[in-house]
Amino acid sequence: MSEDLARLIADRHIVVCTGPGGVGKTTISAALAVRAADLGRKTIVCTIDPAKRLAQSLGLSELGNTPREVAKSAYGKGRQPKAALWAMMLDMKRTFDDLIVDMASPDLAKRILSNPFYEHISSTLAGTQEYMAMEKLYELHEEGRWELIIIDTPPSRSALDFLDAPRKITDFLEGRFLRVLLWPYMKAGKGTLRVFNYGAQAFFRAATKITGSELLSDVATFFQMFQGMFGTFKARAERVRELLGTQRTAFIVVASPETESLKEARYFVQRLGREQMPLGGVIVNRTHAVEPIEELDAIKATGDPLLTAAAELYNDWRTASQREDEAVAKALADLPGTSVWRVPDLVDDVHDVAALRTLADALLGPIA
Amino acid sequence: MHPSLTSSRVAIVSGKGGVGKTTIAAALAKAAAAQGKRVLLLEVEGRNSLAPLFGIPSLGYPEHVVAPNLSAESVVPDEALVEYLYMFYGIKRIGKALAHTKATEFATNIAPGLRDILLIGKVKEAERRRVREAYAFDLVVLDAPPTGRLPRFLDAPRAVADLVRAGPIRTQAHGVLDMITDPARSAVVLVTLPEEMPVQETVESIATLRRMGVAVGPVVVNRVAAEPFTKTVERSLISDARKAIARAMEKAGVAAPAATLERLAAVAAASARRTRNQRAVMTELEADIDRPMISVPALLSPTVGPAEVDFLASVLSDSGAIS
Repeated sequence: MSEDLARLIADRHIVVCTGPGGVGKTTISAALAVRAADLGRKTIVCTIDPAKRLAQSLGLSELGNTPREVAKSAYGKGRQPKAALWAMMLDMKRTFDDLIVDMASPDLAKRILSNPFYEHISSTLAGTQEYMAMEKLYELHEEGRWELIIIDTPPSRSALDFLDAPRKITDFLEGRFLRVLLWPYMKAGKGTLRVFNYGAQAFFRAATKITGSELLSDVATFFQMFQGMFGTFKARAERVRELLGTQRTAFIVVASPETESLKEARYFVQRLGREQMPLGGVIVNRTHAVEPIEELDAIKATGDPLLTAAAELYNDWRTASQREDEAVAKALADLPGTSVWRVPDLVDDVHDVAALRTLADALLGPIA
Repeated sequence: MHPSLTSSRVAIVSGKGGVGKTTIAAALAKAAAAQGKRVLLLEVEGRNSLAPLFGIPSLGYPEHVVAPNLSAESVVPDEALVEYLYMFYGIKRIGKALAHTKATEFATNIAPGLRDILLIGKVKEAERRRVREAYAFDLVVLDAPPTGRLPRFLDAPRAVADLVRAGPIRTQAHGVLDMITDPARSAVVLVTLPEEMPVQETVESIATLRRMGVAVGPVVVNRVAAEPFTKTVERSLISDARKAIARAMEKAGVAAPAATLERLAAVAAASARRTRNQRAVMTELEADIDRPMISVPALLSPTVGPAEVDFLASVLSDSGAIS
């Protein structure tokens, strides 16, 4: 079972860790990256929002949006990895800014970046964070410096946002609806008048009445400036999708063993299937999965306070483990060919490379 | 003074993703309703995560009675927008025209702050709603966005007021702002776990919310693990669980294979480390915030349904925090 996961870490070029928030995705991503580097693959892990101490231990606490090699001191008394391990923390806003600077002329870029509506859209447009994660992934790939890129996705409430991001953002930016809405503010209006129907007129009047005309004018200016870049945007989004769709990529869905979390994981597995994206498998993190112990009753019956408490605790874990297995089976059993890896919740407070290695051992077994 | 989760008319329940804020919001609402308050429970993220907690397939619009004294609703921005337009302009036609031109696309994409303000606007409407002379609800519980998005969500009125320089939306924004910054009318209840990251986020959120002039109520620490061992045993397990268990076995005269010892030791050590960390983290939390804390025990069930919500509601009631 864990061999499949080991193989992914050994031969894929991109691993996307995704899933609902609060399940330990960032930690899993970092643990996989440490393992890959330990095995001799030059690896970068791009995370979204690591715990402060984990970020500090990887040297990420003070850097922004650029990759940095994890310092030798991060390994403490432990061994140095066989290949270099790099890490970075994604800054969504800065990635968007860089993209604009990259795509537009200096003068236009300056005007876009100072538009009040851009300020808004660059941080709040649905899907922007997901899109920027992909954009950064593509950049890292293009740089060609790493054998393995592990990327942690934003904790979006619906994993769908991530896959949908390129289409959503381009659909939105090119949307007929937008053009219709904003036509009085746009210079290029040819042809659009015909589709300007009654509903849109009424809506437009209402929108202006509610928001005041300044907002719509800011929006219109922004889109006017942005118009020439739609094509480039779309092309980039398509290239990212293509890259994600190859067998050099694997998606790993991370979930916790709770029903709600597993439901989201199921949805994601199905969605990846529909989009023909390569699913690596599902990691169920922080489970109580432990092997049965035959002598448990005898140990409990000793009456020794430590042994009785330890045996009862173990028994609780077994009970919880069975319930979790049922929940996992209910959510995922009917999805053919989906590997599921359970990680027992034996390592906590993961805030240094040593703990990441212990977690990797729990996931993949010790390095032979 | 007793910590109270119901000292304001609106309880805005938030927390880091995955800490169980929706469950706590439901338990809080149910506990208050059980004490005779008329309660409205609202979700705004469109996740349909409240319904299963009450054993129903989905929550409709408008609100739905889910228990005695307790109504719940999943607030959807475009319905809130149409309702809002109807309320302020009395025009049904615009509502229809809006539906025709994909109002949601406008509300959620062009001006995301507008979406948030419609959602909080709905909360304010419910808080102010009157039946004859009296308020329709004694308490509105909001299952709010997670703490990562909460400041932006609550700041939407201010942001919109900056962006929109005139008109009724601006008036509406100021009305909502008044509610959010009045401690008698609203307070944030933060849910956290006894773990490093959620606690760190809680401490940061409290500072941010205070800067915004938003009142913060008690902090609910969810999924607190029971402590199976005494502190002395806990220490011995943390330093060498295998040795501690082997010694106890020898003393008690039971034998077990090495693998058994290994398994037992791994779980006992994990539990011992967890309870020690838990105490440390909770002490740290207590020192970093001057807010009362309410502990809620961990459940063994992976599924949360009506039974679990009832249990948690009784825990909250027993803590004396619902009054």
